[in-house]
Amino acid sequence: MPAEPVLVTTAATKSYADLVALAPLDLTVREGERVALVGHNGSGKSTFLQLVTGLLELSGGTIEVVGAPAGAADARAAVSYLPDEPVLYDDLDVREHLAYVAALHGVEADDDDIDELIERVGLTERATDLPARFSRGLRQKASIAVGLIRPYQLLLVDEPFVGLDATGKRSLLSLLDEAHESGAATIVATHDPVYVERVDRCLALRDGEVVHDGPATPAEVLELVTS
Amino acid sequence: MREADPDADLEGALAAWRRYRRRRRVAEVHWVDALYQAYITAILGAITLFALAAIVGDEHLSAGALADVRADGADWLGALAAAVLALGLRSGSRGGPLALERSEVRHVLLAPVDRTTALRGPAVRQLRFLAFVAAVVGVEGGLLASARLPHHAGLWMAWGALYAVATLALAYGAALLAAAVRLPSPVATAAGVALVAWGVADALDAAEGNPLVAWGDLGLGPFHQSWTMVVAVLVSLAVVVAGVVRIGDLSLEAAERRSSLVGQLRFAATLQDLRTVVVLRRQLAMELPRLTPWARVAVHGTGRAPVWSRGLRGVLRWPAARVGRLVLLGIVAGLALRGAWDGTTPLVAVAGLALFVAGLDAVEPLAAEVDRPTRSRTLPLEPGELHLRHLPIAVVVMILTGVVAAVAAVAVPPSAEAVTVAAACVAPGALGAVAGAATSVLSGAPDHSAWSLAPPEAAGVRLVVRTAWPIVLAAGGTLPVLAARAAADAGRSPELAAGQAGVLVAVGFVAVAAWVVKRDALHETWAAVIDPDHPNNPRNRARALAAEAEAYDDADEELTDAR
Repeated sequence: MPAEPVLVTTAATKSYADLVALAPLDLTVREGERVALVGHNGSGKSTFLQLVTGLLELSGGTIEVVGAPAGAADARAAVSYLPDEPVLYDDLDVREHLAYVAALHGVEADDDDIDELIERVGLTERATDLPARFSRGLRQKASIAVGLIRPYQLLLVDEPFVGLDATGKRSLLSLLDEAHESGAATIVATHDPVYVERVDRCLALRDGEVVHDGPATPAEVLELVTS
Repeated sequence: MREADPDADLEGALAAWRRYRRRRRVAEVHWVDALYQAYITAILGAITLFALAAIVGDEHLSAGALADVRADGADWLGALAAAVLALGLRSGSRGGPLALERSEVRHVLLAPVDRTTALRGPAVRQLRFLAFVAAVVGVEGGLLASARLPHHAGLWMAWGALYAVATLALAYGAALLAAAVRLPSPVATAAGVALVAWGVADALDAAEGNPLVAWGDLGLGPFHQSWTMVVAVLVSLAVVVAGVVRIGDLSLEAAERRSSLVGQLRFAATLQDLRTVVVLRRQLAMELPRLTPWARVAVHGTGRAPVWSRGLRGVLRWPAARVGRLVLLGIVAGLALRGAWDGTTPLVAVAGLALFVAGLDAVEPLAAEVDRPTRSRTLPLEPGELHLRHLPIAVVVMILTGVVAAVAAVAVPPSAEAVTVAAACVAPGALGAVAGAATSVLSGAPDHSAWSLAPPEAAGVRLVVRTAWPIVLAAGGTLPVLAARAAADAGRSPELAAGQAGVLVAVGFVAVAAWVVKRDALHETWAAVIDPDHPNNPRNRARALAAEAEAYDDADEELTDAR
């Protein structure tokens, strides 16, 4: 019996005036599925992810997350989004960020839970520092921890490896594997062709249109992205 | 995988965290800073009140003027309420009036917290602050009115405050509702323009039935009271309550765009960086160049006039909103100049301001060049000459805007004799607007550090002159209208007078164009004069010349001795 769908898009499209950012897209992603979203700059990857979160509004079609329209309370509870550009508070330190976001999602996260996650992303020494004063890579690590402290059934990750050092990249890959093992679906938008080796399915976008949907090798991804 | 407690009080947790953050922010504010801010606000408020009192005067109105206020005052206050409501609708159509932190959008509005509850607090706080400001303005307006009108000052201040707060509540509620129903920006703009036009037409007795006159009646409460005033207050309350109830329906897309731009906009406005304000405002309004230009300009190799061609291509990709704005500003300028022609001279300032704002759009190709100085300096062309070559396209755009202004001036109400005068005023108006806008764009944001050691009086005067000068230049382009009116009053040819004044404006434009070309050289000379360490400082140059002459004499003597 196939796993339950967590994401269903039907003719989902987004345009800005006469610019089509995402052509009508039909897609189903099931529980535990690992999807890599590839494509050149401006192909529509971030637009698609933000449509699923509800940050952007559809120009046409529908998107449902765990049966609820994208952006509805149930969908928001099920989707965790790690953006390519970390968005964090200026006046909260890393621990406070995690405690705050956990509280907003009704998670009873004690100090040990928070410390463990902070350690996993390599921020133990900076746990009580303000991310506003961090480098790009450290902010990215803080953003990852914030996105993973809360429950989710669908994890959306946009360009996760940009700015991360080798240790950070390893930790993130390990955390993504854990997310998969726990039954969550993951959609990772990336320019890294090697990442597709770790996923079940590769979705390639070109100028807002899907040009490939299925397994792919790194070489095929390179061809899809550059051709 | 972590699990959420289905019974968790998410809204309660949010409120607790917000209280914690607010307490910490307040604790970080030093009481001396807070006192200083209060002191500066009080000083500025007092200065504004005294300046307005001086303008309004304190002599009681004559019986005739008092009758005019009784008859038309509420209509004009209704037109003002319409303008405030129009601003509210426009703000709401762009995701306003709230400007949330971007992190609030990402972490709070994307959490399963009830959005209405999450946004109600910030909205009520903003409304409370705006209502306080409106009440203060209303009280000051009432105080000024009481100096010239019968009845007690306290009565005028109370009704003034009620008028201002009711108008603010109506506009704020309308903004929240516009944001909740995702009112498209062009619809909000059209509705706002229609409301203001209706209000002004009603005040001029050219139309009737403006519903916002009921709000205007509140401002003239001491004269008479009616049941419509109660309705106005109740409607304002109902609209603001409906807006707060629907606040959770706002668009996250608009909220996030607004959150990232409004902060930058405020910062740029604080620094009087007009160009940055213009660019950010366009981003806020999603004013993007058209993918398909209005008309294609064929490319023939490199072309003979690449700068003109680049300017023309840029203009042909202007979005409809910008074209519409220029048409609107042209109409405003035309109507204001018609008012000036009919005898209300101060309307020249309104026309000058409208033409200046239109000019800022017209000089966009020049401004885009100024925004990228590194690229400009790689060209085999002096920056001043490059900037000069951008002006013709701007003048063409402003002439088209001027034609719109002329049509509006002649058409409302129709006047055949004004046609030739209006035609004579189009080109000077365009030249003045481009001169003002180009001066503003090339001057850039004021360099406060350069004048940090100057006495406050000198720095203040310089700042005022620097800010006002481009607008004065733009208003100078309307000189032919006043010259034509004076000639017509004296029984001379208004067309000839307009033409002569137009020549004067053209001479002024040539002077500005010369400044555009020689600006860098002039700055260099000025820097050398005021900096004693500058190698080109006159004293240093004199010393260098003297040293050179001495060295020459020594060499000459050595040569003579050698011979």
